[in-house]
Amino acid sequence: MSDHTAEGLVLSNPRGSGFRREAERAVRVMVNARWPIFAVVFLLLAAFAAVFGAWLAPFDPNRQNLVLRLAAPMAAGPDGGVFWLGSDALGRDVFSRLLYGARVSLTVGFAAITVGGTIGIVAGLLAGYFGGWVDDVIMRLGDIQLAFPFILLAIMFLVVLGSGVWNLILVLGVGQWVTYARIVRADTLSLREKEFVEAARALGDSTPSIIFRTILPNILAPLTVIASFNVASVILSEAALSFLGLGVPPEVPTWGSMLAESRDTLVANKWWLAVFPGVAIMLTVLSFNILGDWLRDFLDPRLRERT
Amino acid sequence: MKLRMHMPRVAAAGLLGAIALTGCAEPLEDTIVVGLSADITTFEPGMISSRDNANIARHIFASLFTLTAEGEHVPELAHTLEISDDGTSYVYTLNEGLTCHDGEPLTAEDVAYVFNRIADPANRFTGNTPGFVFTSIGFVNAEALDDLRVRVDIAQKNPIAFGLMTEVYIHCKDAYEAMTLDEAASNPVGSGSYRLASWTRGSEVVLEKVREPGNFQRIAWRIIPEASTRTAELIAGNVDIITNVVPEQVEAIDGSGRAEVQVVSGTRRMYLGFNLSDEHARMPGGDAIQDPRVRRALQYAVDVPTICRQLLSVECERATSLVNPPNGNASLTPYPYDPERAERLLDEAGWRRGANGTRFSIRLQAGQGRYVNDVNVVLAIAQYLEDVGLDIDLELMEWASVYTPLLRERQAGPLFFLGTGGGLWSPIYDMTDLAQVGSGTNYTHWDDPRWFDRWPDVVNAETPEARRVVLDEMLQVFHDDGPWLLLYFQPDFYGVSNRIAWQARRDEHVEIFEARLK
Repeated sequence: MSDHTAEGLVLSNPRGSGFRREAERAVRVMVNARWPIFAVVFLLLAAFAAVFGAWLAPFDPNRQNLVLRLAAPMAAGPDGGVFWLGSDALGRDVFSRLLYGARVSLTVGFAAITVGGTIGIVAGLLAGYFGGWVDDVIMRLGDIQLAFPFILLAIMFLVVLGSGVWNLILVLGVGQWVTYARIVRADTLSLREKEFVEAARALGDSTPSIIFRTILPNILAPLTVIASFNVASVILSEAALSFLGLGVPPEVPTWGSMLAESRDTLVANKWWLAVFPGVAIMLTVLSFNILGDWLRDFLDPRLRERT
Repeated sequence: MKLRMHMPRVAAAGLLGAIALTGCAEPLEDTIVVGLSADITTFEPGMISSRDNANIARHIFASLFTLTAEGEHVPELAHTLEISDDGTSYVYTLNEGLTCHDGEPLTAEDVAYVFNRIADPANRFTGNTPGFVFTSIGFVNAEALDDLRVRVDIAQKNPIAFGLMTEVYIHCKDAYEAMTLDEAASNPVGSGSYRLASWTRGSEVVLEKVREPGNFQRIAWRIIPEASTRTAELIAGNVDIITNVVPEQVEAIDGSGRAEVQVVSGTRRMYLGFNLSDEHARMPGGDAIQDPRVRRALQYAVDVPTICRQLLSVECERATSLVNPPNGNASLTPYPYDPERAERLLDEAGWRRGANGTRFSIRLQAGQGRYVNDVNVVLAIAQYLEDVGLDIDLELMEWASVYTPLLRERQAGPLFFLGTGGGLWSPIYDMTDLAQVGSGTNYTHWDDPRWFDRWPDVVNAETPEARRVVLDEMLQVFHDDGPWLLLYFQPDFYGVSNRIAWQARRDEHVEIFEARLK
């Protein structure tokens, strides 16, 4: 890290606490608040399921067994196994599909934020730093995109590009960039006039170095808060698009597509097909929102004394 | 166990509770409400093609003869038909005193105008009448002989031309000459017992009775695409009849005490098509299915009775050909489910499993939401084919705007899932899908001369028995080396309110004329 960047960090963090001290404070605040602990524990479990789902799943999530379809939770499955959370309309194990679904839903959530965040941060930095016509072009593009309802835009893109995990990530990511760009632009407009940036210029740093090594590190904190909320909204969007049949291919289990498949059987009282993926979506989104709230409070200097 | 028995009632009670919150209003006594799954697009007689669209149009437009639920053709606007000795001239004699909805007398001149207008290439009509009926019968011309007699000429003798011509909707000349094509599409002036009162696109069509037959003053056709919503509306009493009930919802409807489900053995032929076009032969797996031995092997790979039992909630016998029973070749037996035999035949055909356990990859395309439980049926078929070593690249598409254009261009495949409407009144009607190699309904591009070269023998057979022999030989070829992986005749599920007496038909015709309050 350059001296200029270090100076910038000092400016944004006048108390000068080290990483270890901040981490200890983060844990202390989280324990005191309690709810963020539950959120972190649930998200760790979901991440564990996403990573190790293939080993944890008692059945192949796509293996059909028509004669054992719509079995209730705890019913006997094939080969002496048990359908812990029941089976679906094709006799596939709901628990195994839920584990695999975690992988797709979380991957799509994080990957889309990475795509959207990267585009938005670069666009915001360029708009804020250079101003003028660069700023105008980038921000008007953002305004045009925001003029369309996001879900409509996503449907249009997916109809043209076709469904699939990568297309879904692309569409959801592109849908998020404006949020990041606006925040980054506003912060960059303010930071580019600061003394430490002027100092970097005076010392002959190149423009890319000033943008990415001096300014960017000083605007990351609010972006992490935005990203935590955004993951939740992207997971919901994935669920909505999968529900509409525009998400991933039908043989790939996701929580949204599982919810969609439950539509026709809900009236027939096969509640487990809707409840389990629905609860998984709800808890994940809730956890990210709680985590985002905590992160916002934690990073807010005005609340620092209270925490 | 006790709890399980009460589940449908619990589900129905829950549904009723939810419906009570949103409110419900039972239809008026002089109105019957029908809930359809698919939207309708036009009332232009030359453009109507979907079954739901035709079901509504059938109440607005009468025809010369009509088809009964039992598969008989009986007089409607005409009372007699004379066919020339060479079989190319059909003379209909109309009933006296006919009128259209605007009061204009309906004469032979009007009937001739209807036939010629639909066939006029300038109008570019693509509906069932020009696209299927007229191409099948080789329509040439229609001419009024006097006020009551009209002659229809066709290119050559055709044993089912009379039956096909019952599908032509009759209307009057003056009203349609005064309208543009766009106006005619939304302002039908028909000859049937109901007239169009209102049409809210995507939502509702209301018809008003103008003459007999019909026991209700109004028929409201509501478009309700989502299956659970249709079921909820039926149980709430907002709708009297619904089509395409999902099998999983049958118990909830029957347990509601307010409606019951009628299940009929339908005539729609469900199959997995092998697209044999040159273009598809160059695609992965497309070369494999060119070999009739591979197609035959795959017949043994799919457990059709289990699909029927588990996914359609009915017991069914697998189809032996494209002809509805009992009109098929009686000597044919359905392919049994025998995956070992399928694997052996695939080995013999030269498509052995590779190191990864796969014989060949192939794309399977299907639309979704059109047929009973279609997505699950397609997923099940894909699983069965993968079990014998195929690697299936499954593409499920939106039905109307994505899959239908592919079908229309005969581009779906190399494997594709489809159901085509059939009939009970003649085996030839069902076989007409494959009248020519280039027929629009030959979605497979199948060109086996043992089938297509036999049509003149069918037409020229001197006796019904002689014709039957030819048909059976053709159906044997279709069974052994045909372009369809044979599945089932789709059962149809109708939900019917307890306040209504109405009987569902096997041919998907939803006719309300005989429906009445109990």
